[in-house]
Amino acid sequence: MNEPAIETIDLVKRYGTLTALDHVNLQAPAGRIYALLGPNGAGKTTLLSILTTLLPPTAGSARILGFDVSRDAAEVRRRIGVTFQEMVLDPLLTGRETLDFHGRLYRLPAAMRRQRIAELVELAQLTDAIDRPVKSYSGGMKRRLELARGLMTDPQVLVLDEPTQGLDPQNRVNIWNYVRDLNRQRGMTILLTTHAMDEAEALADLVGIIDHGRLIVSGQPSELIAAMGSDVIRVRGQGNFDHVAAIAATLEGVSRVETDPADGLALIYADNGSRRLPAILNTISNNGFTIEDVTLARPSLGDVFLHYTGTALRD
Amino acid sequence: MYATYVIWTRHMRKFVHQTEELVGLALQSVLWVLLFGVGMRGMISDVGGSDYMSFILPGIIALSALGGAVGGGMVLLDERLRGIVKEYLAAPIPRLSILLGSAASTATKALFQAALMLLVGLLMGARLAFQPSGWIGALILLAIFAIGFSGLALGVAAISRSIAGYHGMIFLFNLPLLFASNALYPLEVLPAWMKVIVLINPATYLIDAVRALAFGVEATLPLWLSALVLSGFAVASMAFALKLFQRSLRA
Ligand SMILES: Nc1ncnc2c1ncn2[C@@H]1O[C@H](COP(=O)(O)OP(=O)(O)OP(=O)(O)O)[C@@H](O)[C@H]1O
Ligand SMILES: [Mg+2]
Repeated sequence: MNEPAIETIDLVKRYGTLTALDHVNLQAPAGRIYALLGPNGAGKTTLLSILTTLLPPTAGSARILGFDVSRDAAEVRRRIGVTFQEMVLDPLLTGRETLDFHGRLYRLPAAMRRQRIAELVELAQLTDAIDRPVKSYSGGMKRRLELARGLMTDPQVLVLDEPTQGLDPQNRVNIWNYVRDLNRQRGMTILLTTHAMDEAEALADLVGIIDHGRLIVSGQPSELIAAMGSDVIRVRGQGNFDHVAAIAATLEGVSRVETDPADGLALIYADNGSRRLPAILNTISNNGFTIEDVTLARPSLGDVFLHYTGTALRD
Repeated sequence: MYATYVIWTRHMRKFVHQTEELVGLALQSVLWVLLFGVGMRGMISDVGGSDYMSFILPGIIALSALGGAVGGGMVLLDERLRGIVKEYLAAPIPRLSILLGSAASTATKALFQAALMLLVGLLMGARLAFQPSGWIGALILLAIFAIGFSGLALGVAAISRSIAGYHGMIFLFNLPLLFASNALYPLEVLPAWMKVIVLINPATYLIDAVRALAFGVEATLPLWLSALVLSGFAVASMAFALKLFQRSLRA
């Protein structure tokens, strides 16, 4: 692989005594969608703020398309498109004014701005609303307008902080399709954050799991999942999780047991789930565990997350 | 700085969209002049050789520019609190242009108000000197003055955490500026100790210069000094704003 489009080296960010990023080494290859997956407070926004030159790092460095975010900030800014976690729109301006103003900030000539706006309005499905003030937009429309704004400058790298936060399922899928098309059709490198597992599954070529400021693991979702083993038996219920885990781990065909007592969840990884299921359930219920629900499945990204962080990711 | 111009047009666009602000500012200007004019004219007929309306008008205009600067700071604070500033910060533009754009739009609004006030003032009997070059000079100085106070307001807006906090801080320096100036009484009648305070106040220089340039009153302070003080004040206050703004970004 050639040089990554986005790269951080031992990136550290401290807010006073709080370490928000702890030696993060991230590499996102050009032309791919990279999803940064992590719970609230993991440091996702902090990482994106540094990458988009809004915050200086405490230590370490970060490069986008080979440009250092501290030393060559202007070069970085010229080449990236951004949407922020919260809606950052001026309620008094119309959609068209919002896009046009953004283009002017980047010194796009008028003819190009007109042409881009025409394209993006179509793409973002805002044709009817584009000349209304933004304050009259719904949440989904605002998000699509923000995405369109990020695309006004035809950036090589697009950085999206929780692009579907607060949207209904239909709007989420809309945005997913939009993001996927951008990547496929224009070869745009996209870095996005999310705390929704399905979003990472739907979009990402690469996933990085971040928790407590540390990038714990990254890779292709399929690889991360394959590394978990062949089958996972998810058992919900009540009882002594440590005890159950210790016993289940000794059973034949069981490779690993992980528990998340706060969620009442035990994950039992087995070589052949359907064959081992009766013996496993028998053993754990005979050891004082009340089983409420059982599912047998291939491991998912959610299981990967639990494996590396020790807690399930709740939306 | 092209970005300054772009941000200025954005603020102006918002200003035009926001009919209440526009009408509010206009009414405010008219009201100030009417109230001062009607209220004071009965008591005082002339000050230092000019009629009271002509005497008081530059002070009211300066005061409304102060109000405008406070409003300009509010625009920045609002954009900061809403996160809109991030759009500027992620764009390839100098930080200073963000502040200059705000200051420029404040100055524009101040000029708009000044024009209205002059008009009303004339209707109320103020007598302008007939020297258009003087009018233009007065307007230029007014713009510089507005930029100066915008700088202070923007600096405060850059570090305020809330709207209430901002207004609290602004209040601290706004009120003394009006009373510790030559806006309401001529410089000569003041006791020496007060004169010293009044002469620290940039508003004094603006008011004196506008009286001389637009209304043909004899200047108490040399014009070149007024121009120098006002320009220095504008530069210093923008530097102050930039420093605080940059500090707020390093968090
Ligand atoms: N300006 C700041 N000053 C002090 N602490 C901060 C600041 N910004 C973030 N933090 C802290 O840094 C940590 C990481 O925050 P960050 O916003 O990067 O997390 P996140 O992964 O984006 O979370 P979320 O999913 O809620 O958006 C949190 O503990 C947060 O409280
Ligand atoms: Mg965040």
